Amino acid sequence: MSLAREALHPHRVEDVADIVRDAVGGLRIRGAGSWMHVGAPVVAAHELRLDAFRGVRHYTPGDLTISVGAGTTLAEIDAATAAHGQWCPLLPWGDDRGSVGAAIATATGGPFAEALGRPRDLVLGLECVDGRGRIVRAGGRVVKNVAGFDLTRLMVGSWGTLAVITEVHLRLRARPSADVTLLVEGATTTAMRAFQHGALPPLAALPLGEATARTLGHPGPGAWLLRLGGNAPQVAAARQALARIGACIELGARSWDVVRHDQAPPPATHWTWTPLMKRVREAFDPRGVLNPGLLGEAA
Amino acid sequence: MAGAALRVESLAADLGAIVGARHVLTRHSTLLAYESDALPGYHKRPRLAVFPGTQEELVSVVRRLAADGVPFVARGAGTGLSGGALADDTVLIGVQRLRRIINIDADARTATVEPGVVNATLTRAAAAFHLHYAPDPSSQAACTLGGNVAENAGGPHCLKYGVTLNHVLRATVVLPDGELVTLDRGDHGGYDLLGAFVGSEGCFGIAVELTLKLTPNPEAIITMLADFTSVAEAADATSRIIAAGIVPAALELMDQATIRAVEESVYAAGYPVDAAAVLLIEVDGPRAGLDADADAVTAICSAAGARDVKRATDAAARERLWQGRKKAFGAMGRVAPHLVVQDAVVPRTQLAELLGDIASIGARHGVRVCNVFHAGDGNLHPNIPYDADDADESARVHAAMQEIMERCIAAGGTITGEHGVGLDKLPYMERLFTADTLDAMCTLRETFDPARRANPGKVVPLRSCREWQGLPALRGGLAG
Repeated sequence: MSLAREALHPHRVEDVADIVRDAVGGLRIRGAGSWMHVGAPVVAAHELRLDAFRGVRHYTPGDLTISVGAGTTLAEIDAATAAHGQWCPLLPWGDDRGSVGAAIATATGGPFAEALGRPRDLVLGLECVDGRGRIVRAGGRVVKNVAGFDLTRLMVGSWGTLAVITEVHLRLRARPSADVTLLVEGATTTAMRAFQHGALPPLAALPLGEATARTLGHPGPGAWLLRLGGNAPQVAAARQALARIGACIELGARSWDVVRHDQAPPPATHWTWTPLMKRVREAFDPRGVLNPGLLGEAA
Repeated sequence: MAGAALRVESLAADLGAIVGARHVLTRHSTLLAYESDALPGYHKRPRLAVFPGTQEELVSVVRRLAADGVPFVARGAGTGLSGGALADDTVLIGVQRLRRIINIDADARTATVEPGVVNATLTRAAAAFHLHYAPDPSSQAACTLGGNVAENAGGPHCLKYGVTLNHVLRATVVLPDGELVTLDRGDHGGYDLLGAFVGSEGCFGIAVELTLKLTPNPEAIITMLADFTSVAEAADATSRIIAAGIVPAALELMDQATIRAVEESVYAAGYPVDAAAVLLIEVDGPRAGLDADADAVTAICSAAGARDVKRATDAAARERLWQGRKKAFGAMGRVAPHLVVQDAVVPRTQLAELLGDIASIGARHGVRVCNVFHAGDGNLHPNIPYDADDADESARVHAAMQEIMERCIAAGGTITGEHGVGLDKLPYMERLFTADTLDAMCTLRETFDPARRANPGKVVPLRSCREWQGLPALRGGLAG
């Protein structure tokens, strides 16, 4: 769909700023390339590739924060943090081959967003180049920060139409000491909803379509995939409560990869542009250089 | 000046016609109450204060001011700690009469409120449904939700439950030009303009109505007090608890200066006065597994060097432990007539070292630093009680605070975690952010408020905004 004719491949944020300032004909931003099919057709003269912005730049496990280049894949972040018993619970729909920059730019949640945080809740700060070519370093590496106006939240979910994200600072969590994935069969939706909102809320609870249930080897109506996390007594109590609702089969945590992969990342819907949103877009990218057309805005 | 006076009079008359004459103040003596917020040291008197009683009146007031290009400052309860709600010779719009809880939807776990509702009032109203509003600043008995949103307020329980940003679902906002917009998190396609608005310190407009998330009351709560003979050990225990994967509902540190101030006051909580530091730790959640968490916390504290870890055995004991923490600022009133309350954040693993440095900075300047803060978040509150009428002491306090803030910035931290920039932190903004970043902040502000009439002169130093450089001085004064 993209009509990119030429790829630009910067290695430093200053180069990204130069490219944006000099751009003629629009830039299509590309991280790991796994999201290029979503959104409206982009008409851009160039593709701006961010795969050189890759890797962990700062990680002190005791702080439960990590700073990574925007082109780093989610799988790479998972590998780096797992070694310390931690994880970045971003885990969006789709798979972990996508870049963290894309996950943040599209604000894509996943099955654990309700319990562990949405992208806007997990991003502590970021570095980006806005459409005017300014290098912006917003937020920081600390978990609480109200210094200045919140450019971080503005960039999360802006689909690269305000700025090119080059680095992100993320909040991590310790992996729960007990972590169980269960398939519950024969449960009513009412009972499952009540469980979800009860005293022992799961990390995720997802009703499975027939095809997905079959992929997991358990076809049948009313199948739910549940993930329980916490300390051992908590998870044991939750399992007991669940057993009264339906038949529970223990599956591996890998089942979530299947489920996440089955759910395509949500496409960039054609936004309903409010006057305020248009002002924001024009203020940060006055020449309409970044991802032009992706969100269906009037040319 | 006669023309200016006339202008104030005619504006007051117009505003009086909207809200009722008795809700407009113009006399200097009656405006005295609004010349400071909870941070002493800044005195800026508004030229006029207006207190709308309905959402419609609030919108009409803003539109009337827009017609004449008059700047304004919104104010909730005035409990802010950064000089953020001060109006310097211009119009102050107080929202405290807008205190209707419009709706509580127990099934959806949301509340829709007016901006002047007091934080603790919402929690009391939600109690009937076994719900509460999680962000709990120490001023929660007085502060308004509109002010909380403007400042992105925190509180002890934000460690587990998140700050105000994480609890605001929607806001109807009157922009400075009088336009009424509804902001949401961008969940349905759109920029997260709500996220940008929360914490904008009144510079983007005034929230007319807020939809907030309510949180189920936990099934059980265990509150503990761990007693340490060194501040470094308490800080170390903090890091170890978080790293172990336990997310306490709250994890607060008080040093010996604070403990003594509390114990000598009417708020005495039974803290051990010979301890170098105490940690107030609360775990909550499902009853199942809670004891295991509390046991783990106790073991970690002991391993880090705690002399003792006590559990509050009933609600009254728990209340008492918390009272000491929540009233610690008040207790410092006994020590000296004035108090500087600072608010900085550092990476959690650097707490121990930072606290040591803060102690030596205080000693070097001959000032008494009391630390009471949200240790789990790395959110420091070094406070210095002093006498503002003593010029020498004031200068030493100022110098010490500046050094402390610079030390926090050098540690990779930030200058405010929950109190906002306001007037007080303006000088640090250029230390913390690059010129490009500050300029981008100005751009964001100008999309909401092109004329910069909402809370002028706050948050970002004007000279950092390129498009505003070279322009005549900002129209700060009403009569200007």
